[in-house]
Amino acid sequence: MKKRIIVIGGGVAGMQTALRLAEQGVEPVIVEKEPELGGKLRGWHVLFPSFTPAEEVLTALRRRVNESGIEVLTSAEVVGLEPRSVRLADGRELHGDSVVVATGFTLFDASIKEEYGYGIYDNVLTSADLERMFNEGRVARADGTAPRRIAFLHCVGSRDEKVCQQHCSKVCCITGVKQAMEMKKLFPEADVFNFYMDIRMFGPGYEEMYREAQQKYNIHFVRGRISEAAPTIDGRVQIKAEDTLTGRPLRMSVDMLVLLIGMRANDDNARLAEGAGLNRASSGFMAPRDLFLGNVCSNVGGIFYAGAVTAPKSIGETLNEATAAADAAAKYAEA
Amino acid sequence: MTFYAPFCLPFILGAALMFLIVAWKWGKWLWLLPHEDKMRILRGLPTRRTVAAIGEVVSESLLHRRIFRVNPLLGYMHMSLAFGWFLLILTGWIETVAHIGFRYVPLQGHVFFKYFATGLEHKPVFDFLMDLFLLFVLSGVALAWGKRFYSRAMGMHRTTKHVLGDRIALSALWFIFPARLLAESTTCALYGGGSFLTGSLGGWMAEHIGVMPLMTLESVAWWFYSSCLGLFFVALPFSRYMHIFTEIPLIFLRRYGVRSSEKESSYDRFQVEACSRCGICIDPCQLQSVLGINDVQSVYFLRDRRYGHLRLQVADNCLMCGRCVERCPVNIDLNTLRLNSRDRMRNVPDERRYGYFKGLDRSSGEGKVGYFAGCMTLLTPRTLTAMSTIFEAAGEEVWWADREGGVCCGRPLKLAGETDSARKMMKYNADLFRKHGITTLVTSCPICLKVFREDYDLPGVEVLHHSEYILRLIRAGRLTPERGTTRFTYHDPCELGRGSGIYDEPRAVIEAVGQLLEPASTRENALCCGSSVANTAISDGQQVQIARAVAGELEATGADVIVTACPLCKKAIGRGTKGEVRDLAEIVAGALK
Ligand SMILES: Cc1cc2nc3c(=O)[nH]c(=O)nc-3n(C[C@H](O)[C@H](O)[C@H](O)COP(=O)(O)OP(=O)(O)OC[C@H]3O[C@@H](n4cnc5c(N)ncnc54)[C@H](O)[C@@H]3O)c2cc1C
Ligand code: SF4
Ligand code: SF4
Ligand code: SF4
Ligand code: SF4
Repeated sequence: MKKRIIVIGGGVAGMQTALRLAEQGVEPVIVEKEPELGGKLRGWHVLFPSFTPAEEVLTALRRRVNESGIEVLTSAEVVGLEPRSVRLADGRELHGDSVVVATGFTLFDASIKEEYGYGIYDNVLTSADLERMFNEGRVARADGTAPRRIAFLHCVGSRDEKVCQQHCSKVCCITGVKQAMEMKKLFPEADVFNFYMDIRMFGPGYEEMYREAQQKYNIHFVRGRISEAAPTIDGRVQIKAEDTLTGRPLRMSVDMLVLLIGMRANDDNARLAEGAGLNRASSGFMAPRDLFLGNVCSNVGGIFYAGAVTAPKSIGETLNEATAAADAAAKYAEA
Repeated sequence: MTFYAPFCLPFILGAALMFLIVAWKWGKWLWLLPHEDKMRILRGLPTRRTVAAIGEVVSESLLHRRIFRVNPLLGYMHMSLAFGWFLLILTGWIETVAHIGFRYVPLQGHVFFKYFATGLEHKPVFDFLMDLFLLFVLSGVALAWGKRFYSRAMGMHRTTKHVLGDRIALSALWFIFPARLLAESTTCALYGGGSFLTGSLGGWMAEHIGVMPLMTLESVAWWFYSSCLGLFFVALPFSRYMHIFTEIPLIFLRRYGVRSSEKESSYDRFQVEACSRCGICIDPCQLQSVLGINDVQSVYFLRDRRYGHLRLQVADNCLMCGRCVERCPVNIDLNTLRLNSRDRMRNVPDERRYGYFKGLDRSSGEGKVGYFAGCMTLLTPRTLTAMSTIFEAAGEEVWWADREGGVCCGRPLKLAGETDSARKMMKYNADLFRKHGITTLVTSCPICLKVFREDYDLPGVEVLHHSEYILRLIRAGRLTPERGTTRFTYHDPCELGRGSGIYDEPRAVIEAVGQLLEPASTRENALCCGSSVANTAISDGQQVQIARAVAGELEATGADVIVTACPLCKKAIGRGTKGEVRDLAEIVAGALK
């Protein structure tokens, strides 16, 4: 009989894990809490660094899952797990020979940083909102007009002890560069500013994109964190910051403030980890057994990790890791 | 009758030295008082305040009423030692008078009367009373011994590191009364007399010990008793027992209106040395109960300051939440002392830093009512928006002092010890308020409120916290929020509650929009949110730990929404819970039709 492996989460990581397992002759089952597969990828427009439409990647993955005849349970939330079984919110139990956890991450809720006015003033949005606007094909201010000055703020909900998120979310810098370029393409007359603490261009082609953003698109990068935002009478957003390179305080009115929100650990990591005896990092993300030879294994035999559930990652990294996790899980189940 | 024996010498020397040192200390502190304070004392002397002070001395220095209130057992211990000893001295004096009439008797004659009075006829009433009071004191000593071991087992007083003076005085004190019991009993054994305590013990000794050894024992016992007394007295001014005497002038000075301020003064010495190191201030401190930090609390701060080894890390590590102030039986003004220590250690005004606000005026709008958001409210714009909605609904014309940004009220800097820089900000804002001719100043930040009320000179301007202001609007019918079914719980901000005595107004406002559920620690006992601007020593993570503990208590009420009336508390508690945390203004604005 074929071995059966339960994959929790049907985002990029979950789908790729299941595909690899099926390839290996194991029978995967994907358990996804949302009504459809895709995870965060469903919300993105074009992907850095190549501007590949997210839709393209998403459709390809879904099609393959479909063609491989992989069993998929949607609208099924996992609330507990063990190496050989998982428990769903509706009380059902699924049994298998091992489990891969691919539950991803949660977007930081920008309204916690009340000082930026998200959810309070018009024209303050998050990077995720902006992706949605790109997808809807309608990027504009609340009153429908085109923005003439746009500010992006890096590290919202990342690298910020004040909101208990010490880690760097890794992909928001490059997302900020990407979105700034997209905005400049849409509104060539607009001034675009990116406020950052450090620019972290960790992947292939990223640094080149960053240079292009400055040289070709004339996007201004200002080192300094915005301290607060306030509405102006004419519906703009006034921001206060300090340019830490020149040491000058700075205040300007912008038509749109985009908060590059970070990736934080899922709230239910704590409960899942406690039930199964899994270790978590201080950031709240799941902690792999070790960061080198066991980076897709958990500290409990028979439970494996794939994707952003262990730390912020790009899609490419997530796909690689999913393959590795599938192989490790299959090997465990066969043994 | 001569009232002298060689064994009296340690006592006489000790007592003389003690009186000299105490007199010198007090004299110096009084002499160094600022002129205004001296005048206050002179003006206060012939008034009823003196009578009130005497009453307070009796109730506090002798009876220790306030300690009783906090901890009855500890209160009994302190009272039996202080009041019992006092009764022994008083009754001893009356006994002397009863025996030999009003005649000069040297001090040691009173103290060692039993030794000298062997030739006189016995007065059983006095014998009985003296034994009774001795038993009273001994019970206190027994408790003190017990407390040492018991409280250690209970994990209290983890690091009450005694200084040398303390250790000597404490050991001597422990033995004074047992030694007295022994000495008086041996005398009774040889000459008769005594009552149920010394008499019985003496009788037992007479039966079991021969006369010669008894005589030796008697002289050893009296020498020992006198030495313990002498030693205690010499060590007293250098130990925590200095509080016994220092609390008395402190009570008088306080009654005359002398106060500590943001700059150190010699009055502080009275406060510092009036601390008995009872340790009552340790338990309420959340730095201790939540974070396990136990060398920064008021008792340790005062100890370090008194002996001159205060470090900035200790002075800084305090939320100035006032929870300990609320409990301190000596009513020491702990926060102000902490503040002026910081001032001494850190006040380094930098002229250039504040150049930016010369001539600055970003205020907007016009009206007799001014609103000052403060830096923290600008960082919690929901509160600001809610205030704007409220002003509009009430039809109030408002002058917005700092909606477009302004200068800080100055209190955070003051709390950090940079009092001179803080004064610059205060002056700037006060000038601004005067220039715009407002008659009411509303703020939604209790930190600002406190500094406006206490440090700003704003004649003709009524300063209100938004909770007070909103309640007035509601009572005047200018604001008609709809009462819903939401269950709220309220967190008392330290600066608003203990700091400014405002407890009822926010509660009344909440009850106008929904149901109010009280958490376990509330009003004067309310917990601190942990993110106080007064503490620059603990980390963000530690602040969050405190916030979680506080949020836990608030959530335990089963309320749907946590309400507070301070932008800083709101931010802080928000970090400790996933639940909803709102400012008072927000829930009122949300309930307006
Ligand atoms: C604003 C933004 C833009 C980005 N743009 C790019 C880009 O252009 N290029 C790029 O390479 N990367 C990009 N990323 C990163 C990318 O989104 C992640 O690498 C990727 O989503 C990780 O996939 P995942 O499957 O690990 O997690 P997720 O996408 O979070 O998927 C997890 C899935 O698990 C499900 N799940 C969670 N908990 C449970 C449970 N208890 N039971 C059942 N199911 C559960 C969720 O519903 C979800 O479907 C971006 C990230 C952000 C924040
Ligand atoms: S990737 Fe950039 S924006 Fe994101 S958290 Fe790291 S440094 Fe901040
Ligand atoms: S500060 Fe007050 S409560 Fe604390 S030890 Fe001293 S007297 Fe006791
Ligand atoms: S004021 Fe608060 S934080 Fe400071 S010592 Fe007292 S109880 Fe502790
Ligand atoms: S809230 Fe901030 S912090 Fe307060 S204005 Fe007042 S002091 Fe400045």
